[in-house]
Amino acid sequence: MVSGKKIVVDINFKELKIESVSKSFPGVQALDNVSMKISAGKVHALMGENGAGKSTLIKILAGAYSKDTGNILFDENKLNIRNPNDSLNYGIKVVYQEISLISEFSVAENIFLDNFPTNSLGVMNWNKLYKDTEELFNRVGFNLNPKSKIADLSISQQQMVEIARAVFKNASVVIMDEPTSSLTPNEIEKLFTVIKNLKQNNIAILYVTHKIDEIFKIADEVTVLRDGQHISNKLISETNEELIIKDMVGRTVNATFERPKDILNAKTVMKVNKISSKNKIKNVSFDLHEGEILGFFGLMGAGRTELAKAVFGYDKITDGQIEVNNNIYKSFNTSTMVNNGIGYITEDRKGEGIVKDMNLRENMSLPSLKIFEDLFIINQKKEKKAADEYIKKFSVKTPSSERLITLLSGGNQQKVLVSRWLIRELKIIILDEPTRGVDIGAKTEVLSLINDLAKQGLSVLLMTSEMNDLLSLSDRILVMADGKISKEFYRGKVTQEEIFKASVN
Amino acid sequence: MKYFQTNESILFGLLVLLCIFLSFYNPQFYSIQNIHSILRSSSTVMIVAFGMTILLTSGEVDLSVGALMSFVTVIVMDVINITGSISLGLIAVFGFCLLIGLINGLVRTVLNVNSLIATLAMMLILQGSVYVYSMAAIYNTHLIPLFSFIGQGFFLNIPMPVVIMLFILPFFVVLLNYTRYGRYFSSIGSNPDAAKLSGINNNRYKVLGFVITSLLVGVSGVILASLMDTGQQGSAKGFELIVIAAVLLGGTSFMGGKGTIIGTILGILILKIIDNGIILMRIPQEFQLIVPGFILILAVYFDGIRKKNSG
Repeated sequence: MVSGKKIVVDINFKELKIESVSKSFPGVQALDNVSMKISAGKVHALMGENGAGKSTLIKILAGAYSKDTGNILFDENKLNIRNPNDSLNYGIKVVYQEISLISEFSVAENIFLDNFPTNSLGVMNWNKLYKDTEELFNRVGFNLNPKSKIADLSISQQQMVEIARAVFKNASVVIMDEPTSSLTPNEIEKLFTVIKNLKQNNIAILYVTHKIDEIFKIADEVTVLRDGQHISNKLISETNEELIIKDMVGRTVNATFERPKDILNAKTVMKVNKISSKNKIKNVSFDLHEGEILGFFGLMGAGRTELAKAVFGYDKITDGQIEVNNNIYKSFNTSTMVNNGIGYITEDRKGEGIVKDMNLRENMSLPSLKIFEDLFIINQKKEKKAADEYIKKFSVKTPSSERLITLLSGGNQQKVLVSRWLIRELKIIILDEPTRGVDIGAKTEVLSLINDLAKQGLSVLLMTSEMNDLLSLSDRILVMADGKISKEFYRGKVTQEEIFKASVN
Repeated sequence: MKYFQTNESILFGLLVLLCIFLSFYNPQFYSIQNIHSILRSSSTVMIVAFGMTILLTSGEVDLSVGALMSFVTVIVMDVINITGSISLGLIAVFGFCLLIGLINGLVRTVLNVNSLIATLAMMLILQGSVYVYSMAAIYNTHLIPLFSFIGQGFFLNIPMPVVIMLFILPFFVVLLNYTRYGRYFSSIGSNPDAAKLSGINNNRYKVLGFVITSLLVGVSGVILASLMDTGQQGSAKGFELIVIAAVLLGGTSFMGGKGTIIGTILGILILKIIDNGIILMRIPQEFQLIVPGFILILAVYFDGIRKKNSG
């Protein structure tokens, strides 16, 4: 099937040039004047912390976002990317981290999904389908049976299919977003062979990762982004691990808070002992002291949220125990933890925070309804009074406590979710990415609120991927990688480089 | 203030219009016998619908209520025939309903089977096993007057089924609107993750919802057996559809999160009066199914529009 208005592109080019590309979102400059060149037949690694701008750049190249300013060119020819389809027609193919194949279909069917070979009546030509797939595999050096079902393949094999699907026609640039995050070392080797084959086909490869050791095996050059800005570009032979980490994290921390010095001598309020869960967490132990802010740092996929949810009883623990209030729990649920004075604020406000069919008051009191009860009946006067108190305290912008929660702005919803826990007697609060999606002005406000709460004796588990939040607040820092705690650091006795290094190992 | 929200006012208006229309058309509508018959047959639906409202509010549904109700008529008649004791009959019924409710709840929560499927399966199991229990209809051979009184009797000139319904009603209005359990049910239906992260044990309340519904089916089933003076396998066939239709018509959301007992009552009265009107107007009986079908689609459609406008 040939669609009429396909752009015909000459994909013989030496370089994909990105010239002074900028992109901003409300409150955030995601990309600031970034330029780089990706050569055909080379692997160009793109590195940076979470929020450095890597994803934004990928999305602009893929046509998912439009850039504010700047140009994208093949050599001297300007590309006009208005939507994902344009980008595909230019041969720019993205292989995302998540597998997006139809698991009940065969390998060949998945690859030719939008382009099945058919005869004039529209009947599938199965022989041609399998033959074409075979040919493609020979060209890129894959060893897979076109007839196998996707569900029966390993993750790395599925990833090969993803790549094959991306490159089967007119691929000029292949962008790989964290391709090794779910692969075993053996599978990674296989992926690298595939990448080398792509290089020989003169395809330009943009390889996005935060695994430093990988780029020395596969990349030809490396570009580092930080806070949306281009920081450095070096040939792989001219750089080393230390230099790259320095470029990635060399940011100044813009707000630090005065923290009590002897906090680690305060009494222990929670002892987590060797817990594991089906969801990534392996053998994690830590203590939490009264009034302490314990920071957990980790890159995407390190298991921060999973740990928070395991400790809070959302995910069942399969091993280990948690001691809180002199009770030892091996099996517990969220209700156990809430009754022990623990609260949880999610990073996913819409998905896991607000209850959209309820008003502000009902959202605020949800975990604490028992304290508003007279016998079995909720005393709505008492409940409303408490809600009004916190509306005033946090200056929530709303006409009344009876307003439907969905009619409030995001920031105000967040204030309601914080109040949800402060309304009751609380000993420990678990915060998952409290400053995500908050604009820069409000960030400092959030951080200083956390600091104030801790000073009043609240213990805080702070899960974050923001180096700034971590360093400015934490009394102690536990770095996570691959579901485990890889290192412990103390306030003021650690550099960003050390933290980062612990998180990539 | 919470009794009449906009949706309920619309339903109430519709109900009044229906009554006015029918009384002009056929003055028989306001005869005491006709009103008794409407209320009596509404009551058994309402009693089960209280439970169904809770279930739908928490994002679940129970398709096995009709099959269970038929089974209950058989059990209660058989056990009283054999033992001669109404108490033993009731104990058997509620024990059985408790068990079925628990199984429905545990299949939903522990085995994690979607409740539409879990209770559909339960419906098939009950429909089949009632025949294993007894091939034939079981007639009233005990002839205890008190048993007939449950369905056929009057108290202060009000049919007994209505009295029983009115006795249960306030409990559910309060439960859903004024207790923390009501909030739990709607938060679980609206956003289960948020509910769980607020320390609510979702599964416990879901099981509770299924158990409450099954026990209410027990109540309605006993009334039905008394009304028919028989225990019969297919006596409440299709009952689940009327209950669910009425609850949805009343304004409870099929997606969970929002439920209203008063709306449910209005929904049932509207469906039952339409039913009655079709008979009074001598319209072919098939329309007793056709008309509610159309009304249900319209109701849910308008509800969706209303939600879009307010959201």
